[in-house]
Amino acid sequence: MSANPPIDATVAHPGGGRANARRAAPARWVDHGFAAVPTLWLALFFLAPLGFTVVYSFGNSLFGAVELGLTLKNYQTALSGFYLTTFLRTVQFAVTASALCLIVAFPVAYFIARKAGRFRTLALVLILVPYFSSFLVRVMSWQILLARGGVIETILNFLHLHDGPLDLLDTKTAVFIGMVYTYLPIAIVPLFVVLDRIPGPLLEASRDLGASRWQTFYAVTLPLARPGIATAVLLTAVPMLGEMVIPRLLGGSRGVLMGQAIQSQYMQSQNYALGSAMAVLVLIAVAILVAALARLTKGFATVPA
Amino acid sequence: MTARAASTNGQGGIRASDAGLALWFALAILFLFAPIAVSILYSFNAGVVGKQTAQFTGWTLDWYPAAWNDLALRRSVQTSLYVAFWAALIALAMGTSLGYALVRHPSARVRWWLSGLTYILLIVPEVVIGVSLLLFYAVTGVPLGAATLIAGITPAAIAVTALIVRARALTLDPRLEEAAADLGSTRSKTLWFIILPQLLPAILAGGLMSYAFCFDNLVVAAFLTTPTVNTLPVYLYGSLQYGPAPSVYAAATVVFLFTVTLLGLAALCFHLSRKPGRARPGGD
Repeated sequence: MSANPPIDATVAHPGGGRANARRAAPARWVDHGFAAVPTLWLALFFLAPLGFTVVYSFGNSLFGAVELGLTLKNYQTALSGFYLTTFLRTVQFAVTASALCLIVAFPVAYFIARKAGRFRTLALVLILVPYFSSFLVRVMSWQILLARGGVIETILNFLHLHDGPLDLLDTKTAVFIGMVYTYLPIAIVPLFVVLDRIPGPLLEASRDLGASRWQTFYAVTLPLARPGIATAVLLTAVPMLGEMVIPRLLGGSRGVLMGQAIQSQYMQSQNYALGSAMAVLVLIAVAILVAALARLTKGFATVPA
Repeated sequence: MTARAASTNGQGGIRASDAGLALWFALAILFLFAPIAVSILYSFNAGVVGKQTAQFTGWTLDWYPAAWNDLALRRSVQTSLYVAFWAALIALAMGTSLGYALVRHPSARVRWWLSGLTYILLIVPEVVIGVSLLLFYAVTGVPLGAATLIAGITPAAIAVTALIVRARALTLDPRLEEAAADLGSTRSKTLWFIILPQLLPAILAGGLMSYAFCFDNLVVAAFLTTPTVNTLPVYLYGSLQYGPAPSVYAAATVVFLFTVTLLGLAALCFHLSRKPGRARPGGD
């Protein structure tokens, strides 16, 4: 390790400022260590296992084992019949639930960023606290809330919005409620961040130039919130694509989603090759989503913010 | 236009749309807290012949001692505490290292790759990580145990810690490090005495967040637990097929209070990390 004080680098590049000189200094072993140690750890316990899954998805399944190969048979199975229906249903669920989540989250984020005043920190904390209580217990509590004779039924009957017993549990609606509920906090946060950064004078200018509140929202606020919208969709739709607990607890036996289907290939059927192919399909769906969202925010850097 | 008039004088009266937004926010809070309130309330529910029911059948305190005396439940809590502690410690070390490298690695290309890696960690669904790890351990012949579980749940926690530390590292004043170097400090001394103290609140906040995440991890853990290494969420998930006992809610209530306390500590650390210029060279 050579001691290379920044002053030498400054002499070597007299034109550059101090910051440039620091950046141009030769990499030291400490910097490489900081990058290498976590990379190696993640390569071993994250990238390598994912690699195994990709390789196995092309293998031949034997009883509880996989013979390595280069076959597309698993993908053929995963993209036909029951498995295809499950895959498409999962994508449809994730997209719909993510959109619902966004619709619920946007006014909340807007309120915290623009209207909450000195209570904004408290408001943000309130949004985040539930996210740190046990996820499983919260979903179990939705079973109690949605059950026949439960709280929701009583409230709806009281408000005369519904009459008689409510059969929500073990339906699609219950799964949507559970998904919107679970991922609402992580949809609100990125939306809050972008809405918070939109300068107030920009909105005033829009109104001074004669735009109504709705026109300002549609023409100024919404386009500037695009990166936050993209992040919110990403952070909600991705875990929804792999969700296996909510559908099982709230959706009953009907409407199995991809997460459960993959799990059962590994835990019950012991068909690792087919399970791997289904996992890779989920990853491909995620990649398509990321690419689509990247288009949504494309050229955003050129928009003055 | 009333809206226009109100906006020009800045502090207008309460408008209908604002009231609507406030109502929407209040409903969202109600929506978010309702299941938590239910889980706490139902930990006092008498239930019917030892089973949880949707109807509240009467008050009892029996489920708290019952949860304490349930040996399987107690052991799963102990395993969760142990697993989350080590996973959070690893995530703290790795995440700090990664978060610092994300900002300060001299090569822009390396920084680009590292940030790509960090974001990939956050966008791979947990079920895919879970089955991949199960396959990985099965193929390499590593027997499942506490260590394999701890290693398996670290990646997402590392990403979260790295992003928190990165946010703090971006605000560091490079002049402090240059001053230290000018005064003859070696790189490792600068790291230890100048950079680490400034990053410390973010590191602690990341560690506590990781702890809460790892403690609650269900999906990855569901694939990697064994009969002897069973975490609380996995134990609860497995017990659901017999119908949840109210003691589950008692245990969850205690754990929730514990987590909220931890979060309070994390928030305090993060609050301190927002104050600039806390660590000064020479000041201890």
